[in-house]
Amino acid sequence: MKTLRIPRSPKVLLGLGITVFFALLTILGPYLAPFDPNDTSFAPNLTPSWHHWFGTTSLGQDIFSQTLVGARATIVVALVAGLVATMLSMVIGVSAGYLGGVTDDGLSLLSNVFLAIPGLPLLIVIDSYLPVASRSNSLVIGLVIALTGWAWGARVLRAQTMSLRNRDFIEASRIIGESRSRIMFAEVAPNLLPVLASSLLFTVLYSIGAYVTIAYIGLTSTSVWNWGTMLFWAQANNASLSGEWYWFVPPGICIALVGTGLALLNFGIDEFINPRLRESGLTARQRRRRGLPRRVRLGLTPVLRPLATETPRSIPMSEVTS
Amino acid sequence: MSNIDTAVSELQAKHLTKHFKIREPGHVLGAPKVVRAVDDVSLELRAGEVTAVVGESGSGKSVLARLLARIVVPTSGELLVRGTPLAAKARRSLAYASDVQLVLQDPFGSMNPVHKISHNLFRPLSIHGASKDELRDLAGAALQRVSLDPPERYLDRFPYELSGGQLQRVSIARALCVKPKVLLADEPISMLDVSVRLGVLNLLRGLCDNEHLAILYITHDIASARYLAEEIIVMYAGQVVEHSRGTALVDAPTHPYTQLLISSVPDASNPISAAPDAERHNSSSFAQQGCRFSTRCTSVMDICRTQEPPSFVVGESHTSKCWLYRDRPEASVELAIPKRRGEGAKGRK
Amino acid sequence: MSTDALRMRGTKDLVDTATNVPARSERILQIDDFCVDYGVGEGSVRAVDDVELHLDRSKVLGIAGESGSGKSTLVYAFTRLLRAPAVITGGTALFNVGPSEEGGPDEFIDLITADEATLRRVRWQQVSVVLQSALNALNPVVRVGTIFEQVFKAHRQEMSRAQRRARAVELLALVGLNEDRLQRYAHELSGGQRQRVMIALALALDPQLVIMDEPTTALDVVTQREILNELTELRARFGFAMIFITHDLSLLVELADEIVVMYAGRIVERAGGRSLYHSPRHPYTLGLLNSFPPMHGDRHELAGIPGAPPDLSRLPSGCAFHQRCPYAMKRCATERPPLVNLAKGGRSVACWLHEGGEDVVVPVELRRREPSAKAGAS
Repeated sequence: MKTLRIPRSPKVLLGLGITVFFALLTILGPYLAPFDPNDTSFAPNLTPSWHHWFGTTSLGQDIFSQTLVGARATIVVALVAGLVATMLSMVIGVSAGYLGGVTDDGLSLLSNVFLAIPGLPLLIVIDSYLPVASRSNSLVIGLVIALTGWAWGARVLRAQTMSLRNRDFIEASRIIGESRSRIMFAEVAPNLLPVLASSLLFTVLYSIGAYVTIAYIGLTSTSVWNWGTMLFWAQANNASLSGEWYWFVPPGICIALVGTGLALLNFGIDEFINPRLRESGLTARQRRRRGLPRRVRLGLTPVLRPLATETPRSIPMSEVTS
Repeated sequence: MSNIDTAVSELQAKHLTKHFKIREPGHVLGAPKVVRAVDDVSLELRAGEVTAVVGESGSGKSVLARLLARIVVPTSGELLVRGTPLAAKARRSLAYASDVQLVLQDPFGSMNPVHKISHNLFRPLSIHGASKDELRDLAGAALQRVSLDPPERYLDRFPYELSGGQLQRVSIARALCVKPKVLLADEPISMLDVSVRLGVLNLLRGLCDNEHLAILYITHDIASARYLAEEIIVMYAGQVVEHSRGTALVDAPTHPYTQLLISSVPDASNPISAAPDAERHNSSSFAQQGCRFSTRCTSVMDICRTQEPPSFVVGESHTSKCWLYRDRPEASVELAIPKRRGEGAKGRK
Repeated sequence: MSTDALRMRGTKDLVDTATNVPARSERILQIDDFCVDYGVGEGSVRAVDDVELHLDRSKVLGIAGESGSGKSTLVYAFTRLLRAPAVITGGTALFNVGPSEEGGPDEFIDLITADEATLRRVRWQQVSVVLQSALNALNPVVRVGTIFEQVFKAHRQEMSRAQRRARAVELLALVGLNEDRLQRYAHELSGGQRQRVMIALALALDPQLVIMDEPTTALDVVTQREILNELTELRARFGFAMIFITHDLSLLVELADEIVVMYAGRIVERAGGRSLYHSPRHPYTLGLLNSFPPMHGDRHELAGIPGAPPDLSRLPSGCAFHQRCPYAMKRCATERPPLVNLAKGGRSVACWLHEGGEDVVVPVELRRREPSAKAGAS
């Protein structure tokens, strides 16, 4: 089994740190929140203080608690949407790429249609048709978002599958008599892991944005706390006009941070999944000390001498001849 | 060496032809060009014998292998397994897969990099009926047959941990897992290191002798064909231009292309100081009319440019597709496949 | 960084009596103590270990070896074309760039310490490279003619457009290609034609040294023969020296003045072409020669070399070849044999067999199977 490897690049470590932090927040948020986010018993419009770290809303609710509790719904919905969309894109993309012919034409047409239709308006339209009861159901919202987010990944996976389809090891599987579905999902798909992982990260990113947007517009139920709903309330109470930055800035920063974390993590995917790609050798400081260039340029193979300095010397003739 | 009179015919091809239609870029209208990748090729693979097909890239040898493996459907011609013809345009079936297996050229490309070696052996075993408990033992046995011993050292490795020679042996082991009668090897040693090649060739020879496999060995290296095979077929532009048993066509080549091929092989014991006779060929396309080699042939005659020659018998079990031998008897398909003593009107068609 | 130019005189220290000027040196390349590693620090792997090479004007040096031998690494390293994570960790590569002033002595530049400007002067004008797979080496989105244009524009700015085109046509004619090939893209040419284009490009600036990295491996045997013959003609005409890298030892016997056999990053044998073939001194060379099935004679089973080429990160102790060697002695497993010159004939071998001891009679004649046209080779 492949052992887990701690990546070394600072970008990736930062991304990993952020992601883990928010993952913990998702699980522990509601328990860590000092107050009930719905509780309106506090003084309204308080600026951040020791008592209320992020201040209070116009209704007297604690913003810090709202942020902590809101993390769960936001991230869970985004995760569900991301997973479902990625699964969909894998099934559709790999089938289209591998099976070719009429199946490919049909599935490509489907992906192209979904790509062409603008995601957000589609989301809004579907959402407005949902019965009010299910608007509070994270799963349903997640599925709806997934429906608008799978098409791009499907195209990418289809292209990758088409290039893998003619590789020798796939031909070898056909020759031993493997069935088509096993080839697609047990032989081709595992080779797509880096693309799938990357696709997942970006789809989750997209889903957060989509979810926050429809929450902001007010299409989701306000009984479930999430960052988008916070922004909704902030907007509804003209927080930006009244200078109550502490109302919309925390959720905004959280969203931005999660996005950044995911994007940074993307850098490390290849390295993580394929252990052979790891950069061997020294850290940047060690390279500098030994006189190695920071970036190796093409056409200028670096020369590493033992640390003693060398001065050019004239070589006597006898040493040149042999 | 096996005795031709008693060897069992495992797979026979008669008049196999494969034409591809391709559209030239920029020529959307009009008839597509036809590429005659394989043209009227007949051969027979017998148990306990190695048949070599020698040709350059573009000669059609790889397409021939895929036609015999039935992963490509022929335009015309038929295949017979142990004398019984197969349904004409059908694709490869599971039953056929358990009889005829194919080993490919690139050892690193033939293994799925994300799966262990064991996976690559378990799959064919499962598909062809082994139960779950037998898998590891059977896979180990297959590795031992290709001299990868002890098998435990290899089963749980990933392909990138093995060398080219070892991976090619695993490829052969994978093919052997289904217990085939025929093994088609498409340039199995071209991508291996020189010092490793002989080992794999000797392995193929051993499998042929000990397990009575029928082996088709495709190569561009005529020296290895001579080393390994009972029968050698030389292909050019999709056709069989010369065919002999034993080393007759290497020791005394009759077709100008075979002669060119043999004179081009670097032979350190007999270095060539002068340029060979054939003209430098700038075009990569074969002659469309008449003999396909006529554009490069130094012995070309008028008839060569207009009419395609049939195969003539130039020796015992030795045929040559060249107008130079038009005074010899023509080879029919039955003669191209050496007749067995005692088989007359009955037997194969 | 300034150029590290080392001035020296011609090797023979001859003086032209008519003009009292030192004659040009015969040596154009001298590599000493050359070492290349992949990676740095722990986990680094030595790919080329302590190699010494030299090449004289208009001569052909053949480098033979398999994967892991270091032959390509060596050559790309001394031309500084090797990519990360390779690092040169020792040695010098002196290249003769000719006299710096009219009538002066030849100047040698150490390519290892040279800066980019110097390398650019040397590259392609003095040293050019023909790569293994021309399809990968030629820019696929550009016409062949444009590639020639790029070469001339980079190195010969004084040429006019007409002159560039004329020169390109001339070069193509040299390798037997029609001028209409200039209009084509790389993928429209056959393998042999592409390789010829690469050779033409390599000769474009009339270099002193052309390096060929397995130029015919990807080609069929007939095209290979044609190209080798063309190379011989071109060499006779232009007098460039050649380094020819290949795994096919039989090619080198015909082609090379001197052959160097490499194994696991070191040179194991060095000899002239014919002597290497007829009387190899290193068991690896013998094994390699026996790995090519003969074209004549009785058919019998050949043994080749057991085992596989070594993993450079896990080399055995002592001689890297000892586990595969039919002549291995106890000493071979513990001590690594140095490359020593044999008594006569400019040959060197790295093998304990030639040091004597343990019932080995020196000089060691390794049994060589001579293929004969008649039966009975044994």
